[in-house]
Amino acid sequence: MGRALLYYEWHSRWNRLRARLRRLRQPKYLVGAVVGGLYFYWYVFGALRGRGRAGVTPPALAPEHWALVESLAALVLLVVLLLMWIIPHERAALMFTEAEVAFLFPAPVGRRTLIHFKLIKSQTAILFSALFMTLIGRWGGGHYLFHAIGWWGVLSIVNLHLLGSSFARTLLLERGISNWRRRLFFLGGAGLAAAGVFLWARRALPPPPDFLNARDLSAFTGYAGQLLQSGPLPWLLAPFRWAVAPLFAADAKTLCLALVPVLGIIALHYWWVIRSNVAFEEASVELSRKFADRVAAMRSGNWQAMSKPRKGKRPPFALGPLGWPAVAIFWKNLISAGQFFTGRAWFFLILVTVFAGGFTRSVSQHSGAGAALAILAVSLGVMSLLYGPAILRHDFRQDLRVADILKLYPMPGWQVVLGEVLAPVAILAGAQWVLLILAFLLCPAELGGAPAPLILRIAIALSAALVLPCVDFIALLLPNAAALIFPAWVQLGKDTPRGFETMGQQLILMFGQILVLTLTMLPAGLAGVAAYLIAGWLLGKLMAVAVVSGALAAALVLAAEAAVGVRLLGSVFERFDWSEGSPE
Amino acid sequence: MEIPPPVLPPSAAPSLIEAAGLTKLYGDFPAVTDLSFSVRAGEVIGLVGPNGAGKTTTLRCLSGIIPPTRGSVQICGHTMGLDPIEAKRCLAFFPDEPRLFDYLTVAQHLTFTARIYNVAHYQETARGLLEELEIADKADKLPGELSRGMKQKLAIACGFLHAPRAIFFDEPLTGLDPLGIRRMKDSIVKRAAAGAAILISSHLLHLLEEVCSHVLILKDGRKIIDGTMDEVRQKFSEVSAGANLEEIFFRATGENKGP
Repeated sequence: MGRALLYYEWHSRWNRLRARLRRLRQPKYLVGAVVGGLYFYWYVFGALRGRGRAGVTPPALAPEHWALVESLAALVLLVVLLLMWIIPHERAALMFTEAEVAFLFPAPVGRRTLIHFKLIKSQTAILFSALFMTLIGRWGGGHYLFHAIGWWGVLSIVNLHLLGSSFARTLLLERGISNWRRRLFFLGGAGLAAAGVFLWARRALPPPPDFLNARDLSAFTGYAGQLLQSGPLPWLLAPFRWAVAPLFAADAKTLCLALVPVLGIIALHYWWVIRSNVAFEEASVELSRKFADRVAAMRSGNWQAMSKPRKGKRPPFALGPLGWPAVAIFWKNLISAGQFFTGRAWFFLILVTVFAGGFTRSVSQHSGAGAALAILAVSLGVMSLLYGPAILRHDFRQDLRVADILKLYPMPGWQVVLGEVLAPVAILAGAQWVLLILAFLLCPAELGGAPAPLILRIAIALSAALVLPCVDFIALLLPNAAALIFPAWVQLGKDTPRGFETMGQQLILMFGQILVLTLTMLPAGLAGVAAYLIAGWLLGKLMAVAVVSGALAAALVLAAEAAVGVRLLGSVFERFDWSEGSPE
Repeated sequence: MEIPPPVLPPSAAPSLIEAAGLTKLYGDFPAVTDLSFSVRAGEVIGLVGPNGAGKTTTLRCLSGIIPPTRGSVQICGHTMGLDPIEAKRCLAFFPDEPRLFDYLTVAQHLTFTARIYNVAHYQETARGLLEELEIADKADKLPGELSRGMKQKLAIACGFLHAPRAIFFDEPLTGLDPLGIRRMKDSIVKRAAAGAAILISSHLLHLLEEVCSHVLILKDGRKIIDGTMDEVRQKFSEVSAGANLEEIFFRATGENKGP
């Protein structure tokens, strides 16, 4: 039976690979594969070859910080494993596809074989995850191979513990111990441990540094080092430190020594999982059915199925039956974005921001912490321009799979486009305004050594508040245009495509969007600068008015560009033939 | 309750759905070729054909979801290619799988639809539809909390909210229980009697026989025959006068009926 399962696993993966290779016959995938392959080579193999020549590269972290980072990693692992006992409430269930349930569950296959099958299957995902984490997590220095082995150990332990804890939770439920009693037990235990550490630190360690007025991180790292590396915590964290130790191995000998306890922990977990006599079949069938429903829903257009809402969300505003239909799409997409995007929630957020900003300004007048926070808020605002349109996808990228339904609506195309794009724009602009309020409240009276009177700061904040939504609109219009014009190249919903070829396609699209965004910003920038200079020349010292004039001119140009974009995209949508552009 | 036999509308009734030379190509593949027919107010036409005959493509072209490659479509006197908004305002299309938004509740779906179609005072109509379809108690539920049949009912409630005069059904009975099937048949007949033009694509020939006044048989994207049931029977003279739609279908399409 084991061989049949291996046969199934091997051929499933092989056939999937062949299907992906076959689609390279299409130019769009071939071009994507070339670009994706080059990027991967440059990012990964280039770095690996560099490391190979240099041998073991010096660690990116200073050696004195290694022990601290190792202890922190152990603490994170402890918290992750603890949460497995606190958060879940379901009975043990192994995830099988519906086909696996249909073929394997009625077949003469023992429960232990099914667990082995799942463990072997999970190893593929673990190996890929370990590789991925190794490639992105070069923070600790050390050899790539050591990192990969270290991640494999950590992820294998987490996977086995997840399975074992789910079996144990089911056993507890069968013995009449409810979820809440179990949670209370573990939370109580964690609370007692935390209290013990707190009391010890209070008695044995010097007082913690002043967090608000600290000028650098050394005070924090010193205190955290003392807390994690002396007293009771090292004992509590010992097994977790063993588990993460290979990640920090500097040479092969250290790695081999560190792997011994890791393999021991894995073996113990394996024994625990295999010995657990828990019925998981019924819950697994249910889980598989739900998963299949979600996949089917996603394929038919309901991308939200991945994070299926449990209950209805409050509408952001009351939608009347008469008026612009575009508002209905805006309203719908705001609901899909979540409970948080209501007027009331934004009002409270702004209120909290104002109070928090005012309080921070009053307590950090001499430390520079306020100014640092203002810079952070501005940086986040700038980053939101880059990442916001990729993260906020409550627009065509969500709805294009139900394009047939959108096309049924008696609306001109430009109204559909406007309604689709408005929700992410509103959310992004709202978040940026909150950051702007925070930056304004914490902004020092000097900017770059020059005095910045209140009126100028107000003018800059108002100008930014005016321009940002227009920039957001165009920045969000571009991925929507890409979705309509190149539907097969865009990730629609959360049905993430895989492989070099799709990575390459996304890279090409990303660079294209950045290029177009830059080009659309140019006329607005020129108009803004011209208006600023003219107003400055006319008004003399009223610099604040000149700033607002420049922003107004830039915003008007951007708004005009956006209006043209919406019209053009509207006509694209009206001609859009989903049957010709549906992705494979 | 027995479903009353389909009544033929008077020939003076206006034509609400008209296809003239409708052709749809997918690349070089002709999914529908030179299809012409019309459906008058009060008529229920059954669109029949083997898999791949072009039924769903026809429905999607007629409802403005996909543009035809050639030919024209008129809905309630509005040409789809020239005045799509007015044409779409008076039609409803029900795909075989109910297409709902996972994050909108039943009530929110109706609010959304009312705004899209600008249905003033929709609340009363919506309440009536929910009660008629027996999902009034599910107003705060999400589609994920509804059974397949209830989702279908919600899609129907949304589709009927703006009182469409041209209605397209693609396999309307999929997933419905026997009572749901009965109610759906009643609803189709009731809408037709109220003056709607209805086009139903289905493989369930006995359903079509019960509710349809006319039939249109497609094969390989081409019309084989259309007309009233009697006209169709007459055209296939070798089939007896009492032949059912299944026999006519097999004769018309040349499909093997099997053992």
